[in-house]
Amino acid sequence: MSIENIKMKRRDFIKQAGLATAGTFLVPYLLPSGRLFAATGNRKANHVVFCLFAGGVRNIETIQMNDGNLMPYTLAGSKAISADILPGMTFKPPAPTGQPLQTLGTLFSEFRYALGPTGHYNGHTAAITGVYTHTNLSLKDHPPVPTVFEYYRKHSSPAKAALNAWWVSNSLGPFPALNYSIDPNYGPLYGANYIQPDSLIKHAYNVLYKPQVFSAGQKTSANEIRQFLDNNFSNQNTSTNAGVSNPLTDADNIESFILKSIAEAGTGAYKDPWGVGSLSVDMFNIFFAEKIIQQYTPELLVVNMQDVDIAHYNFTNYCDNMRRADYSLSHLWNFIQSTPGMANDTILIAAPEHGRNLTSNSFVDNYGRHALDHTGDDMSREIFCLVIGPPSVVKQNQVITAVEGQSIDIVPTIANILGFDTDIPGNYKSNMGQLLSPAFY
Amino acid sequence: MNTKFYTCLLFILSLLMHSSCKKETEYLYKVNDVAVRQSGTTKQNTKTTTEFISIAYSDLFNANISTASLNSLSLAYSAFGDQKLIENLIIKNFLNIPGAAIPTKAAMNMNVPDFVTNTYKKFLNRVPNAFEQWNLVNIIKKDTTTTPELVYYGFMTSNEYRKY
Repeated sequence: MSIENIKMKRRDFIKQAGLATAGTFLVPYLLPSGRLFAATGNRKANHVVFCLFAGGVRNIETIQMNDGNLMPYTLAGSKAISADILPGMTFKPPAPTGQPLQTLGTLFSEFRYALGPTGHYNGHTAAITGVYTHTNLSLKDHPPVPTVFEYYRKHSSPAKAALNAWWVSNSLGPFPALNYSIDPNYGPLYGANYIQPDSLIKHAYNVLYKPQVFSAGQKTSANEIRQFLDNNFSNQNTSTNAGVSNPLTDADNIESFILKSIAEAGTGAYKDPWGVGSLSVDMFNIFFAEKIIQQYTPELLVVNMQDVDIAHYNFTNYCDNMRRADYSLSHLWNFIQSTPGMANDTILIAAPEHGRNLTSNSFVDNYGRHALDHTGDDMSREIFCLVIGPPSVVKQNQVITAVEGQSIDIVPTIANILGFDTDIPGNYKSNMGQLLSPAFY
Repeated sequence: MNTKFYTCLLFILSLLMHSSCKKETEYLYKVNDVAVRQSGTTKQNTKTTTEFISIAYSDLFNANISTASLNSLSLAYSAFGDQKLIENLIIKNFLNIPGAAIPTKAAMNMNVPDFVTNTYKKFLNRVPNAFEQWNLVNIIKKDTTTTPELVYYGFMTSNEYRKY
């Protein structure tokens, strides 16, 4: 190439310099997803709360009410509880005063968990990723495909902090792993804040209640020291994978929230905040989800209950815990409606992760009832899904009795409600189910 | 001829006898004391939760943490997704427990370079390089509110402390 060829005319130079300058201004506005502009999807509501209800329940006990209406706060019906198990109902909630939740939206009474092992973690994973799992799902790893939290945080605009996305589980085991996946295009950068309140808030008082307090200035110095050490270290090595990482200000905020909650739990304030005698693990989990709602008004919160899984050993306790879960779900909805910023702008979705077997196992409880496992028969795939929300958005008092909708439809439905469904790449969306459109106007 | 021969023989024998009587040198091999410190570059492994909590406790208290406390802290650790946040909280609590082996502020200020070196050895199991030493001394000296607790907190919540 001759010198003449690379010479640039003054006009060309100005033109290219102008383009370069424009690029300099535009590049910082590129989204983490690589797109230049924000998601354009319309939102149906600005908040979604998804409740995994409540450790594997059969439609026989819920929708069909074979032993009476065990869920009077959620389901319409006045069928009395079977006399033989009634003495075993230790939970005595106040009688419902308002309409059952199902009247506030659409009930898919023949929903399906159609494929994959009927295990709790499999069921949770399918519901949170929108993709069915197989027998090779590892209990030690984060799921292989992105969670709804990652889709939400990556494809929403403006970018959403983890303060807006929470996963609240009632037990540990594999469940902490559901706040983000190992998919290389997503992962912890887009994950949710995970919390298991029973261990962190209720039982950590003795070991976490009295931290060293630093002034704002001292915090700055400590951060400077840590940052220096980290910079020096990460130059030579890979940094520690510390899960979801909140920015410093948000982390400070969360730390204060956790410490305040631990202190309140330590004073006994969380023993019976609902005035129902005491809170079961499920109830405490919902109670703490409400604390998060109160503190952060998150756009996306997923919470579960698991206590009905006692059905493996005790059918009557299973029914009793179903009543606790029913009361808790109603309490959650009422709390949302009393929270400024979320009232009338939240859609609540509730669905079990799976059902339970038609035939019982060999355990018999004190009331002569046989216990129930969940090993993949047809009944263990039959569940319900309740979608409730603002009357202008969600069809009210509608029951869809045909077999319609399945677990993997929940993620695309949440994505549609929060307006980022069109931004999920096609190769991911093609593995999911579809929008539960019959529930919406 | 005979005289010459015997003289030579006598000379050779005397040489041999002289050399065979030479005192043998005794060598004593010793090893100098060397401080073995791990370089930051070789820390590839992440401490497990249990290791992190136990080591942090023993670094501060020169004693083993009780099983009950270890279990409670491990549960709390697993119960929140932002591990850094929980690590910070655990360390802050350790630093506030009476009996933690933390130098006084006066002792730190008396010889800041030594304090920095000792802190690197204690927590990162290595000595600082010249730049690290200079910068840390600078950070400590420029802010009079800096306490040993705060420096320890910075070290114990660093990425390098999470590795070995």
